[in-house]
Amino acid sequence: MDRSRRNFLGLGAAAVGTATLQPATVEAREARHGGDAAHRWAMVVDLRKCVGCQACTMACIMENRVPEDSFRTIVSTYEVAENGKSATYMLPRLCNHCENPPCTPVCPTGATYQRQDGIVVVDNSVCVGCGYCVQACPYDARFINHETLTADKCNFCVHRVDAGLLPACVETCVGGARIFGDLNDPESTVSKLVASEDVKVLKPGEGTDPRVFYIGLEAEFQGRVDGTPTLWRPSRAKAEPSLV
Amino acid sequence: MDEHILELINVTREVAWLPWAVQYFFLIGISVGAVLLSLPGYWIGRPNWTKLSRLALVVALVCGLAAPVALVSDLHQPNRFWHFYVAWRPHSWMWWGSFFIPVYIGGLLFYAWAALRPEIAAQGRVDSRLGRLYRLVAMGEPRGAGLMKLAGAVVLVGAGLVALYTGVEVYVVRAQILWHTPLLPFQFLLTGLAGALGLVLVLNPIVGDGDARVEVKANRLLALVLAGVMVLGMVWLGLGYFDLDAANAQALRTVAASPAWRNTAIWAALATLVPFLIALVKPRGTGILTGLIAIHSAWMFRWTVFIDGQSIPKTGAGFYEYALPRGAEGLLGIVGTAGLCLFLLVVITALLPMPKRPATGAAETAFLHPAE
Ligand code: SF4
Ligand code: SF4
Repeated sequence: MDRSRRNFLGLGAAAVGTATLQPATVEAREARHGGDAAHRWAMVVDLRKCVGCQACTMACIMENRVPEDSFRTIVSTYEVAENGKSATYMLPRLCNHCENPPCTPVCPTGATYQRQDGIVVVDNSVCVGCGYCVQACPYDARFINHETLTADKCNFCVHRVDAGLLPACVETCVGGARIFGDLNDPESTVSKLVASEDVKVLKPGEGTDPRVFYIGLEAEFQGRVDGTPTLWRPSRAKAEPSLV
Repeated sequence: MDEHILELINVTREVAWLPWAVQYFFLIGISVGAVLLSLPGYWIGRPNWTKLSRLALVVALVCGLAAPVALVSDLHQPNRFWHFYVAWRPHSWMWWGSFFIPVYIGGLLFYAWAALRPEIAAQGRVDSRLGRLYRLVAMGEPRGAGLMKLAGAVVLVGAGLVALYTGVEVYVVRAQILWHTPLLPFQFLLTGLAGALGLVLVLNPIVGDGDARVEVKANRLLALVLAGVMVLGMVWLGLGYFDLDAANAQALRTVAASPAWRNTAIWAALATLVPFLIALVKPRGTGILTGLIAIHSAWMFRWTVFIDGQSIPKTGAGFYEYALPRGAEGLLGIVGTAGLCLFLLVVITALLPMPKRPATGAAETAFLHPAE
């Protein structure tokens, strides 16, 4: 299993460039358990192909029963005005399943951990909902689920991957922008793309070594975006009576 | 090149640490500060500290006993708190905290018992319905100062561990731009001390006898501590402004342009400077005022660090909006902990009213003059 929906349809991508993969620290590697160490699951997001349709956002919500106003993945959308011209920029965001995740060592109960195949999961029968992992993630990838009252995040649809299926967002991606596969397999599309394309990651300076790679990621969007914030806010805070 | 980015669609993350967390860090910080203020009177046996230390001990108990309630309430699954104790997570400062808190609270109760034992024993000699209970709790007449010395050492270690973990637990979170400064543990400690002095000043005329010497002494100490708070604040600004520390500089850059953050900074500076000046110039007759502002300032520091700190998006533009909900996730948590503190204060002062002439300089003084 290693493809995007587009690849599945026979529409592969090719370009040039290189990238280096930092290995996990000894501590991060030793702390891993569960999963199959033969694989290292990863995603490549080809921003040139994303049309910002949010089909992945919806598929994730449906697949994982993500509660209202919460998101495991979303396509951040920006309008970039430059020298009198404007363009739209789409950036799908999800958990990066970092090689050195800062979210797992802080967990006081061990509820969140990294599997040997690199997927970072939350066991919500153990999680106490302390929110420490939410604070520690530099990507705002985690949140407290209002229904389970535990930490929640993208888990690469681990239940599907274990069953030999693609994550729901990859399966549904119309543009074939999301490509999922095994970095341990040099023949996989993700391995080839990471080796051949000029792939970038979000916040490379954090030392997290994400395993979600982007093709076409502009420097302005790699870290905290400096711009005018969206006016859109989730309705939950407004629905609940508040004082300020 | 003229470039402008407008965010059209993005996620807003809600705070994961609720106002309960603010209450916890506020109360535990004050409790630790108050324990430190009680030690000169009870542990070292300085007679001129007796009354202040007695008040501080009440503050340490009230805040120390209420704090864990706020902490457990901040968990979204409070009934699972025992999961901390069936895991081995030495990488997690929060995990260590789950052991340090009982050490501290246990130590505090032991210390308070040793310190107040002469008073408890004296209550036991009064013919009242609760006489038996007092005698039971006193476990006989206090003898010697050895127990007090031991209890003081235990509570000091517990307080040190709590101060360490509460500071470092927050400091290590690199991803929260405002938290990741090595100054934070010291800022927590000093603002906690200021809050403790504030409560001593406010309680002095209410549960104490309003002794002006206590007021003057506490006000002088408050001025000193607030001076320290201001120095740390300036060091923080300096590290960021002159780009001496990358994390500080980034934190400052992030918030400096925001009018709301600038207002918060001005407010925080005034809430420190004003009580400092009053306490310095007129330490007598101003205790309630300086005390209340100091308490407010200690609380506001934590609100800013935790709630406002979480409103800084890690990837998105601008700031997340925070609206204080009225329910258990917001206002109720603040009012609830305040109510619990009031209840504990009433219970503690009803069971052990402030002695007219405090019988404690050190435990042995009380032992030598038990009838006083
Ligand atoms: S993106 Fe965040 S939640 Fe995901 S592994 Fe990295 S640090 Fe953890
Ligand atoms: S919220 Fe749950 S998964 Fe996250 S650190 Fe706390 S216990 Fe661990």
